[in-house]
Amino acid sequence: MADSPVAASQEACEFEFDGKAITAQAGQTLAGALHEAGQHVVSRSFKYHRPRGLFCCTGRCPNCLCTVNGTPNVRICTVPAEPGMVVRSQNAWPSVNFDFLSIFDRLHRFMPVGFYYKMMYKPRWMWPIWEKFIRRIAGLGSVDRRQGADGTYDKLNLFCDVAVVGGGWAGMHAALDAAQAGFAVTLIDDQPLLGGHLRFDPDLADSRLADVVRQVQEHPGIQVWDSATVFGLYEGNYLGIQRANRMIRLRAAEVVVATGGWERPLVFENNDLPGVLLASAAQRLLHLDRCRFEGTAVVVTDNSQGYRVAGQLARAGTTVGAIVDVRENSPDKIEEIPVRRGQTIFAARGTKHVTAAVIAPVSGDAHATLSCRWLIQAVGFTPASSLLHQNGCKFKYDPLADHAIVTAHGRGTHSAGAVNGIHDRDGTALDGRRAGLAAVEALRPHDAALAARRDELKAKMGAIPLRESAAAHYASGSPAKKKFVCLCEDVTEKDICDAVAEGYSNIETLKRFSTVSMGPCQGKMCQSSSIALCARANGKSIEETGVTTSRPPEQPLSLGVLAGRGLHFSLVRRTPMHDWHVSAGAKMMDAGNWKRPETYSTPEDEYDSVRSRVGLIDVSTLGKIELRGSDVVPFLEFLYPNRFQNLNVGRVRYGVICDDAGILLDDGTIARLEEKRFFLTTTTGNADAIDSWFRSWLAGRPQLDVQLTNVSGSYAAMNLAGPNSRQVLAKLTDADVSSAALPYLAAGQLKIANVDAVVLRVGFVGELGYEIHVPSQYGLHVWEAIVEAGKEFGLAPFGIAAQRLLRLEKKHLIPGVDTDALSNPLEADLPWIVKLDKPDFVGRRSLAQAGERGLRNRLVGFRIVGETVPQPPALVIHNGKLGGRVTSCEFSPAAGCAVGLAWVPAEQSKNGDKIEIHVDGRVVTAIVQDEPFYDPQGHRLKS
Amino acid sequence: MSFQIPCPNCGVRPVWEFHYGGPSRKRPEGDVTSREWAEFLYNRPNTCGEQTEWWYHRSACKSWFLARRDTRTNQVFETRPFAPQEAVGG
Repeated sequence: MADSPVAASQEACEFEFDGKAITAQAGQTLAGALHEAGQHVVSRSFKYHRPRGLFCCTGRCPNCLCTVNGTPNVRICTVPAEPGMVVRSQNAWPSVNFDFLSIFDRLHRFMPVGFYYKMMYKPRWMWPIWEKFIRRIAGLGSVDRRQGADGTYDKLNLFCDVAVVGGGWAGMHAALDAAQAGFAVTLIDDQPLLGGHLRFDPDLADSRLADVVRQVQEHPGIQVWDSATVFGLYEGNYLGIQRANRMIRLRAAEVVVATGGWERPLVFENNDLPGVLLASAAQRLLHLDRCRFEGTAVVVTDNSQGYRVAGQLARAGTTVGAIVDVRENSPDKIEEIPVRRGQTIFAARGTKHVTAAVIAPVSGDAHATLSCRWLIQAVGFTPASSLLHQNGCKFKYDPLADHAIVTAHGRGTHSAGAVNGIHDRDGTALDGRRAGLAAVEALRPHDAALAARRDELKAKMGAIPLRESAAAHYASGSPAKKKFVCLCEDVTEKDICDAVAEGYSNIETLKRFSTVSMGPCQGKMCQSSSIALCARANGKSIEETGVTTSRPPEQPLSLGVLAGRGLHFSLVRRTPMHDWHVSAGAKMMDAGNWKRPETYSTPEDEYDSVRSRVGLIDVSTLGKIELRGSDVVPFLEFLYPNRFQNLNVGRVRYGVICDDAGILLDDGTIARLEEKRFFLTTTTGNADAIDSWFRSWLAGRPQLDVQLTNVSGSYAAMNLAGPNSRQVLAKLTDADVSSAALPYLAAGQLKIANVDAVVLRVGFVGELGYEIHVPSQYGLHVWEAIVEAGKEFGLAPFGIAAQRLLRLEKKHLIPGVDTDALSNPLEADLPWIVKLDKPDFVGRRSLAQAGERGLRNRLVGFRIVGETVPQPPALVIHNGKLGGRVTSCEFSPAAGCAVGLAWVPAEQSKNGDKIEIHVDGRVVTAIVQDEPFYDPQGHRLKS
Repeated sequence: MSFQIPCPNCGVRPVWEFHYGGPSRKRPEGDVTSREWAEFLYNRPNTCGEQTEWWYHRSACKSWFLARRDTRTNQVFETRPFAPQEAVGG
């Protein structure tokens, strides 16, 4: 594909490995080039620093992890060489070829399984030192902090009818059958080219491979993502896919998992030596990287794949010393290569590379040593079933195949091919087509043509023996200690046995204690053998032993892929007057997603303007809801504890909203603009919650004639407040704004600066004031007109900081600041709002009960005796114990002292009661005050 | 949680567009004992299996609707607007 993120070099090129120049042929992977160059040690092991070479060559095992161009832990067997690449080995000092730290290999008796749990936890203060030490000598590559993220990460969201995971023989057939039925198919494969293992097994592939690949690529209904790894199959067939620096999130109606299998290694002495390879690794190096294997090879097998590999090696010029076939009687044979039947591998010999293989009969111990350089194991595959496990598929162990087989699929999930334990080439194709068809049938049920094709496939599949019986013997009888089960974490057979003997006999506890299957391969190499050994050590069957859970991500992925772009999209909301505030020099602050002016000059100066002249504040952030219909009054009567029957047209009322437990959720104003039209405001922070709250009660009462429109964004709003505000407003409108025409708590609709406005005479800040709502697009125009008209009256804009103080002097609470999830309106000092003589309303039952029970706490106003200004949440002390807390407190110029709101025990909440507030280890006295601290009679407000 | 819900207005959408509103229950009305009321307020059913519940399509049409879902598998069998003859939930 033209946009493949894995671009192979078109001609020979040179790259650097640990300072040494290496030549790579066109299209070769880094691993292949190192193999050709004779660099067979490519890493050092996690714990013992043993030399490790290429082993699986499929990007699964940990052996080829290197740092490439500064990016740590890259599997170089999957990365094509490019000119100038800098490759560094990891976990070795000074180099992979000669690593001083391999001394640990000789000290293994001092580092038994779980030794760090036993040795390093005492004394405790030593742990940080141990930790540093362990991190230096064990583990994987290190992140180059200077370098930063390597490139740009992004995300792509897609969907399709059928997603096929795996572009091998089964996957391609599944994709074709689904696409031919007319569905949109997405095929994802982690290799740069389609074809799966047929690409590197020329004895199996014939002209049909190229033919099928071409059909898939040319089919208009199939989208192919190559070099893309599905790392997670989540609920609802949601696939997480990594493709280079991009995360693709794919939603599929049906998913076919055709992920094939992981080749399984054997456990024998020195089975981790460079030169010991899995058969498919040898085939990849031979056919994809066009490498040679010089010298003699010994192939250990229990199936026909071993014979094919031996033949392919021989044709490539390798001397195949012997095929060691575990089976006593097998039909396979090959000319000119001696076959040793009924035998298996016992040990490998060598220091940095295999020099000989020790073989022995499966039963018995007559050893024979065969000199060789390569030891190839072809003992079958474990289904690559991680994705199926993630999606909740059920499995059952099949003793014939020696691995678990899916017995029940998750919803909308299908599996095909080797992941079902089917390895026969024709059987795989049929199984792929069957799965593709099953996916399509789920999308188009009761289709006779599809059913007929399904039955036809079934008949064909019945004629093919789908599974070979497996005869692999995981562990040789050798008593040696260095028989590795887990290459990632250097866990040996002895470690497993010791851990079981210490009581970690359950497969899950065994995993956590020994760390087997917890390394970079996440059990792909070691799961079958660790389960088999655990079963053996416990004297139980494999079925009884069970499997560990596999979770996403299926393959390691960099955090950058998950994070996406460096800059995250977080919603920022600005009012229509935002730019004006900024150019007026306002200091902006965050209020939820909103940006609001905190102050323009100083809160004190702004306070002065409002109290003595006139001020203007942007309150566009308020939630605004319009209700229309003939049942609005009964609906409001039900939702608020207030009464609304007597709310006349042209009037506005303060109200609070409670839930059914009587807890105060929010407050706001309710204006009746017309007989059947109401205009409600909510606090800024609760705008969405109250919208949803209203809708939830309406949803259960479809018989009510109430139409709700959220007009929060449609209106800009500003509060013009102060003794001069009427004169300012009068300059901008022809309407009568006198106290008689527009008294306190009037709701008028008038033209202001030629714009239709809703004007509410409410007074949050305690002065004569007008809350003016105009269509958003005119918000700035009206704001500027008011500022201009207000110049001669000393108008100044004010921000949140001044407003907080202004309202506090009036003892106006802010829900969520002065109340919490336990506050009801009776205790929040708003008992006049709760009309228990009304019929049922939300919260009535609970409020009635709270009223009968009597108040336990009360929200009261207080004035501080002395100079201190306690900061919320300063604690209120009652009889030497915690009695409540301060929720708001500021120095009040009107009161001449600090004033505030606090929750106090009910018995201490009478006017004039003394309360004690704990401030920085001292106790400050305050006096409870029922009246507001400013204009207690409300003369200014109502003027 | 990555299942999908068919909104009666908007069609099939991912679950993160919605807000869960709890199981649909009858709100006690009339003379209610304190025990019954407390039961309604604080003892919510925690069904293992199929239940009818409220969902709110907060990121799109902003409608509340009822869904019948299996809480074990998150399979949503049907979604529909509330019908007046049903129990009144909240």
